Amino acid sequence: MTAPAIEVKGLTKRYGSAGHGVVALDDVSFSIPAGTVFGLLGPNGAGKTTLIKVLTGISDISAGDATVAGYDVRTQSMAVRSHIGWVAAEVILDDDFTARENLWLQAKLQSLPDWEPRADLLLKYFALYDRADDKVSQFSTGMRKKLEIALALLHQPDVIFMDEPTIGLDVGTRRMLWDIVTGVHREFGVTVLLTTHYIEEADALCDQIAIIDFGKVVAQGTPSELKARVHGDVIALETSRPIDVPRLTAIPGVQDVRPQGNEWMIRATTAEAVLPSLLAAVPAETVRRISIEKPSLETVFLELTGHRLGQDEPMRDIRKFYAQMRQVRK
Amino acid sequence: MRSQFSGLYLRELLRTFRNPFVLLITVVQPFMWLAFFGSSFANAPPSLVESFVGAKSYIAFLLPGTLSTSMLSVGMFGSMSTIQDKRFGFMKRILITPTSKGVIFLSKALGSATRGLVQFPIMVVAALVFGVSFQLSPVEWLAWVGALFCLAIGFSSLFLAITAPSTDWQTPGVVSNFITMPLMFASTALFNGAFFPSWMRAISAVNPITFSALLGRSFVLGTSVPWINLGYLAAFALALLGIGWIVAGRWLKVD
Ligand SMILES: Nc1ncnc2c1ncn2[C@@H]1O[C@H](COP(=O)(O)OP(=O)(O)O)[C@@H](O)[C@H]1O
Ligand SMILES: [Mg+2]
Repeated sequence: MTAPAIEVKGLTKRYGSAGHGVVALDDVSFSIPAGTVFGLLGPNGAGKTTLIKVLTGISDISAGDATVAGYDVRTQSMAVRSHIGWVAAEVILDDDFTARENLWLQAKLQSLPDWEPRADLLLKYFALYDRADDKVSQFSTGMRKKLEIALALLHQPDVIFMDEPTIGLDVGTRRMLWDIVTGVHREFGVTVLLTTHYIEEADALCDQIAIIDFGKVVAQGTPSELKARVHGDVIALETSRPIDVPRLTAIPGVQDVRPQGNEWMIRATTAEAVLPSLLAAVPAETVRRISIEKPSLETVFLELTGHRLGQDEPMRDIRKFYAQMRQVRK
Repeated sequence: MRSQFSGLYLRELLRTFRNPFVLLITVVQPFMWLAFFGSSFANAPPSLVESFVGAKSYIAFLLPGTLSTSMLSVGMFGSMSTIQDKRFGFMKRILITPTSKGVIFLSKALGSATRGLVQFPIMVVAALVFGVSFQLSPVEWLAWVGALFCLAIGFSSLFLAITAPSTDWQTPGVVSNFITMPLMFASTALFNGAFFPSWMRAISAVNPITFSALLGRSFVLGTSVPWINLGYLAAFALALLGIGWIVAGRWLKVD
């Protein structure tokens, strides 16, 4: 077995002073086998970008250990940085430069004397060859993103980091990027660590997924392993009046009933089997909405964290607000 | 390290000189400066000018000083490119490569100083147009450029050291402005130091702008050359280069 491409043990990152700041990463551990696509799935503010910043050496580690491509992030930062590529969530290029000049600068920064053949190859691979001498400020978002990936691949890195690769892209471009991620991984043999808050993206692209919430990894495994963790379906029920929880819980086949926002989440072995008794227990005129969710990463996330992905920004802001309040009072 | 330095240094130059607007302003500004500031004594009696600045032509007096003070804005401009790189994330792109923070600092400082020197030939031509004549030996020309280069390196390093540790983009600007004014006016770059109060004379006496202005002025006016000033300016440049290297290496932050 080859050494893992990334290994993280007890990694903790605190912003601000101890006890007052935000703990963006809380005792995170995982191991990514070389040659795989690893996804970090979590809502906004979960700590995904922070993890990339820490592993690429942009931010210091507060506690714990990490190795990337076999090098210690704390003590061998320079070696790490010549073996990784990085694709930012917001595309970062030099807008005054052409595509080729951006590649030239990247080659300079990576000390690559013979960069041109490789750059041409990448430009062709990403269908940017004809536009190589145009200023990148004239490029579409999709083209810019592709050039950024080309920059990340120029020095033949072992690992590339992609922070929310499809955030803010339209559906078509997102599909294209999915193909690129899969293709890049296959053709160039790199290990990919990507972050996303799109469940379907993690499901479609990743060999392994770690679900991260409030800086903690709450579960990890292959998409199918994760899906197998939830037993049964979820019935989401929204009513205009309070429901009779004990009566619903008593229905054979219902595992539990709990509130989630203004909905009720009813877990059942098989949704279809309990639906008739359920509807008999809830006055029909009070039902606003009812839906059935089969096991998916979405229900896994819900089950593990007690909230839905992308439904939780207000709460997070409150957490940050309290952190700031504490700092002000000090 | 050489590769990263040359890449980043060339980037600094290319980005500036490709911008036609920046080029135009670079060329036009010295003419405007001399036209407006230099003409402010146009109708004054020659005796008044001579007693005020100690030279027959105010422009001849002004030119070395103007070149010196403009190295201050050169330095400030250079540190702005660092702030920009931080704001647009490009600093992260640089830092996620095996490029040391010291090299980033060096390329910015040298890039900005080089950019600043481009003003020199333009300014000299502008002065010729306004009737100043130059009788410098090649060594003197070289020494003059060298003095200005030292000044530019020193100020670029100073302002870069101020911007490097900061992650917001307003504080460095305010601090830089705060430093600029006393440096500019408490020097003999624009006015004759003989009329200064003693406290201003004290600042002026150690102000590198004064050293550069006096050296340049001796070349233009053909008076005796204070060669020691060149040593002072070289020491100033080296000291600030060292300070900047250390500050940036330790505290250059993007997050
Ligand atoms: N530079 C910083 N200073 C202070 N807090 C930060 C900083 N960067 C991120 N955070 C906080 O750390 C947490 C995780 O942020 P981030 O890693 O950007 O999340 P994600 O990328 O998953 O959306 C958030 O609460 C965020 O506010
Ligand atoms: Mg993020």
